[in-house]
Amino acid sequence: MRTSRWLLLSFLSAGIMACGGPEPPQKDTLSTEDSGDGSVQQVRQKKTKAIFYSIPSPMETATLLKKAGAEYETGLLNDVEKVNTYTSASKQALNLGIYGADLSYASVYDHTQESMFYTSCARNLADKLGVLSAFNDTIMDRLERNKGERDSLLTIISGIYWNVDAYLKENGRDNIAALMMAGGWIEGLYLATQVTATNDTPELRQRIAEQKHALDDLLALMNTYEDAGEGQLASTMADLNALAELYKDVDLGESGTVTQENGVTVLAGGKAATLNDEQLTAIRERAATIRNNYVN
Amino acid sequence: MIPVRTLLPALLLTAGAMISGDASAQCRSFAKNKCLPGLAPYTFNETFNAAQLAPGEEAEVDLTFFSGQDYRLMVCAHPILGEVNWKVIDQNGQVVFESLADEPKSHFDLQVQTTQQLTVQVWVPGDGSGSDMVHVGCVAILMGFK
Repeated sequence: MRTSRWLLLSFLSAGIMACGGPEPPQKDTLSTEDSGDGSVQQVRQKKTKAIFYSIPSPMETATLLKKAGAEYETGLLNDVEKVNTYTSASKQALNLGIYGADLSYASVYDHTQESMFYTSCARNLADKLGVLSAFNDTIMDRLERNKGERDSLLTIISGIYWNVDAYLKENGRDNIAALMMAGGWIEGLYLATQVTATNDTPELRQRIAEQKHALDDLLALMNTYEDAGEGQLASTMADLNALAELYKDVDLGESGTVTQENGVTVLAGGKAATLNDEQLTAIRERAATIRNNYVN
Repeated sequence: MIPVRTLLPALLLTAGAMISGDASAQCRSFAKNKCLPGLAPYTFNETFNAAQLAPGEEAEVDLTFFSGQDYRLMVCAHPILGEVNWKVIDQNGQVVFESLADEPKSHFDLQVQTTQQLTVQVWVPGDGSGSDMVHVGCVAILMGFK
């Protein structure tokens, strides 16, 4: 009986506290209210089992692009001067993800000055979304002091993304976090597919094909929201579902075997994921349409 | 004057609310300060997969591992929970790694030659004390790459 009371108290108190989170900057069709489920992340609590949904971070995606031989193309990134045109919470969330992906892209390719511009854009939107604490003065000082140190810069930027993601989820604003993630993922896909227009390699095609995993996870995450059928969440889900349709027949290859080499577990090679010309063109065009709709 | 008996539930709720809010922030702080350093020299993948769990509860996440990369998986639990059990399963249901509470391992390093998704399952053993008091603690699932 006492246990039940503790659990009840825990659920009730979580709901009360989350209502005390920061006010969203501007109301639109996106609910920015507390989900009231007492979750700590995009964990959707199912009684006693916490289910997490995770997609590759912008930093990992940018790192994979670079390793696949993609060239840096500054003209592909979102215009920093657009930052003040995003007035609704949903646009701010999507473009926080997009600028965050651009920030990771510029940083991984060691374009320090652009990294600073995109940090400023992300900070601006984080402020409007009430997440400025992720970009506090200490962090900005560290960024400034380490701007010549690529590895330090990447670590600090990773910390910022973690702070924003965690803050939003802790405060029951995980639908905003989901839009941020969706924006960041779309931007990564947009950058990868646009690069193939001028530098098409099997490695890049493989990385784009493999995004099917992330897309499935992103859709699974967004499907957990009660208001997934409304407003910007519904619109973004429709965009992602349109991409999922194009990915439907993409061959993800085959899993290999598990072996041990020098005490390290190796998931050994099977067949790699591939994209044919038609699939690549269709995904590239759709990703560009969606992304341009978000940034304009 | 309002009787204490009337005020008590409200006071308890308020205290509980403060504890819960603090617990969320503490979970982030715990994961950041106590767990993240263990990922070095891998680059943290920036995703906050952490929750407050009690004995008997579980957590699960599907993670994508890309070919050509090395990864470190780490499950980090608050000491109040003791050691937790966790395992990594591939898409064929094969257990790739298992850490039981009586044979704890802090992390799992792997190299990936073919991109694939793996499922990480974590469960917190019951404390076996028979006590009515529920101990809730932070459990974080972290991934680093290089």
